[in-house]
Amino acid sequence: MIASVVLTLDNYAETFQETVDEISRIPCLSLGLTEAVAHRIPVMIDSPDPDALEEITQRLQQCRGVAFVDVVFVHFENEPSRTSLADSGKPTPP
Amino acid sequence: MKLQLSMPTDAQQRREFLKSSAMAMAAAVASGIEFPLPILAEEPTAGVNWQKAPCRFCGTGCHVQVGVQSGKVVAVAGDRNAEVNKGLLCVKGYHVGAALYGKDRLTTPLLRTGSSYRKISWDAAIKIIADRIEAAPARFAMYGSGQWTIPEGYAAQKFMKGGLSNNHIDPNARLCMSSAVTGFLATYGVDEPAGCYDDLDACDVLIMWGNNPAEMHPVLFSRVIDRRGRGEKVTLIDIGTRRTRTTEACQHYLEMKGHGDLAIANGIAHLLIANETYSRKFVESFCNFKAPDDANPNLHGKAISFDEYKTLLEPYTPEYVETLSGVPADQIRLLADLFGNPDLKITSLWCMGMNQHTRGTAINSLVHGIHLLSGHFGSPGNAPTSLTGQPSACGTVREVGTLSHALPGGRVVTEAQHRQDSEDLWHVPAGRINPTPGHHAVKMWESFCTPTDEGGDIGTIWVQVTNPGQTLPNLNKLFNPKGDNTAGLDDKFLIVSDVYPTATTRLADLILPSAMWVEKNGLVGNSERRTQQWFKMVDPPGEARDDCWQTIAVAHELFTRGTAGMKDRDGRFLFEITDKVGSPVPVWEWEHYYDTNVDEHLFEEYRRFTRYKHKDLAPYTEYVKARGLRWPVVETDGQWQETRFRFAEGFDPYVTEGKEIQFYHSSTHDDRAQIWFHPWIAPAEIPDKDYPLMLCTGRVLEHWHSGSLTRRIPELSRAMPGAYVEVHPADASEYGLRNGDRVKMESRRGSLVLPVWIDGRGKPPRGTVYIPFFDETVMVNDLTLDALDPFSKQPDYKKAAVRISKVAS
Repeated sequence: MIASVVLTLDNYAETFQETVDEISRIPCLSLGLTEAVAHRIPVMIDSPDPDALEEITQRLQQCRGVAFVDVVFVHFENEPSRTSLADSGKPTPP
Repeated sequence: MKLQLSMPTDAQQRREFLKSSAMAMAAAVASGIEFPLPILAEEPTAGVNWQKAPCRFCGTGCHVQVGVQSGKVVAVAGDRNAEVNKGLLCVKGYHVGAALYGKDRLTTPLLRTGSSYRKISWDAAIKIIADRIEAAPARFAMYGSGQWTIPEGYAAQKFMKGGLSNNHIDPNARLCMSSAVTGFLATYGVDEPAGCYDDLDACDVLIMWGNNPAEMHPVLFSRVIDRRGRGEKVTLIDIGTRRTRTTEACQHYLEMKGHGDLAIANGIAHLLIANETYSRKFVESFCNFKAPDDANPNLHGKAISFDEYKTLLEPYTPEYVETLSGVPADQIRLLADLFGNPDLKITSLWCMGMNQHTRGTAINSLVHGIHLLSGHFGSPGNAPTSLTGQPSACGTVREVGTLSHALPGGRVVTEAQHRQDSEDLWHVPAGRINPTPGHHAVKMWESFCTPTDEGGDIGTIWVQVTNPGQTLPNLNKLFNPKGDNTAGLDDKFLIVSDVYPTATTRLADLILPSAMWVEKNGLVGNSERRTQQWFKMVDPPGEARDDCWQTIAVAHELFTRGTAGMKDRDGRFLFEITDKVGSPVPVWEWEHYYDTNVDEHLFEEYRRFTRYKHKDLAPYTEYVKARGLRWPVVETDGQWQETRFRFAEGFDPYVTEGKEIQFYHSSTHDDRAQIWFHPWIAPAEIPDKDYPLMLCTGRVLEHWHSGSLTRRIPELSRAMPGAYVEVHPADASEYGLRNGDRVKMESRRGSLVLPVWIDGRGKPPRGTVYIPFFDETVMVNDLTLDALDPFSKQPDYKKAAVRISKVAS
């Protein structure tokens, strides 16, 4: 799955480099240029599957200094077919 | 040796292209750069067609770019050209396209026969509905939604009130924002916020009253956090009954007891007067004072003088407010000092905390009142603004007026002139519109679930785009009164139009499969008076069809049977739509429904109503071009201009030059708003020795309302798979509970079993618990109370007394 997000940093001046270092250690990410608006970092995620994408976005949210993870784009064309509640033992259609 | 170069395949090229596009979009959003749609269409091999649409979920009104390929939505992107979200989306918006593709979409009409369902044709389904209406038109009701598009709601409204002379039409929005409506009406004489989201960019102080925008309106909240990230000073204050993700970003958190907000608002007003820091000029120029009329309770109360108002507030000292609310007196003084500073710009936001409240009208009015009293009103950044939870709670419910007492354009059935004007615009005979309001939502369902011989005067309800079987309060009373959900109700008939099986379809006698979101044309209206449009992009699955078509098809079936109400003054079909040469288009036949743009025809008809209350809408074609426009939209020098701030000179075209502020729909007809006093009153149910905990219910970030869409999106369902109860660590210790233990929660109305999450995401205070309502396998509304606000008729889902006990493993 290919997606992109924008990270908004809170108090970025104090923790900027630490935050960037921490984000950079997460696999499957590409960080974009941040010169124009330094407290917002564009990130492209190329994950092998939806689970990995979910894990990555959760890790981003937990990084120190990251106030928000806003989603900009997601391309889910190649995702595995969707599950239904019926498949998961949840309520079924009448 | 020959060097072989490996050329990238088409798939690799396409993947690299998508990656670079994804990064480009994120970089553009991060930098605040705008560029026009479609951004991927320049890539010849992409083959993706991009169009704009508002997100399907909440009332924020984010615009998304929807990528369609081979008849399927394959990608979603935030729309950088949309003022609301500036290219961003939240986790739900991110997955909105996937909401179309759950495997268990309803695809054919189903009729209950005994304990099972059988497939029937659309023709048969339409005839069954017509039979039910024809047999007992006054016992028929429609239960709609803030997810109805504007044309869908308008068609239902016209069908019921302009056709059947039947006002039993009410929406689920009665359960979520009707107290906001009555608060606006009681204060300004007309509904909906004066301010807009631009206030979030301009305010110095943002106060959230019982509101958790970090999870419920995350794009709006990130807009404010973004300002702080840029080094701007914005003071964020959270007033709530539990800590939330919003609290974590706030400089001040005022933790109150349920209904403490009434006391806090009065405490602020008390100090503004005691300290003489209220705005004498604003009050004397633009305001009157009101108090409840206990002898004759009504929305507009009785007039009082400033001195009487001051006297009524005298008991609300900071110390007294502390005893009522639990908020320390110093924090009440902090709020009063902020409101008393005219140099600050203050915006208040609220949502369900103030609306789902048995004194919802009162607390809405009080918060408007402290903005008026302090003069924090009418300039960018100074506004009291309610948020909505559904994409068209404002556009459809409040503006089209799909409430049991309302007519389109902010008018009401009880006013003879309003009825006459509506009959003229609908071109139906004089006297067609019934002057008696119909049943509000809770009463409608109580009547439906009461046997006919015991006074249950509603026999058939048609539900569209909502899930009352999960979301109404005190569900056991309605659907399982004696442990037998069919007791005495054999003559009742429930019709449900929806896209997936839900708790409500399980109760239904007839299920109709509906198209959703970009499977149909649509218009909606968001929380800031912004009307938004989109076109159909993909076909609905199977035999699923537009809700609007369903309404028109039933109307036409009744027309063919000679039902007088389905004819206009000239005997023509109520929903007759003609082509360019004046010939009727048979839009009641599905194969011809998209021969013309039914939405455009209905919208242009509806638009004529909007001028009565200065809620003017532009022609349909203007919305096609825009990412929404905020009403009133008025044509000036050939351009359609939206309005950011109502009632303020320089912004609102209806304010007379030189007036500065003009409340031109004032209920006292003097261009003044009303500053209200309402006393603190205890919640309808409070904990006692038998039920010692206070239950609050609500939403979570990952799921939207009853979860019927988001629980079918695997990523969201995995992130938040099921309901839980948040418990304070000290309470957990007292009851011997650990994380994951299963507990029985009981109220006086029902019980359920679910796992414990100590503290949880929200950290409830000692003596309180929180359960989200998205999970249809754990129906928290079996526990909730159906006590209502006396004016808005909105239930309180935030305060019910419960007890907890560990279930043996």
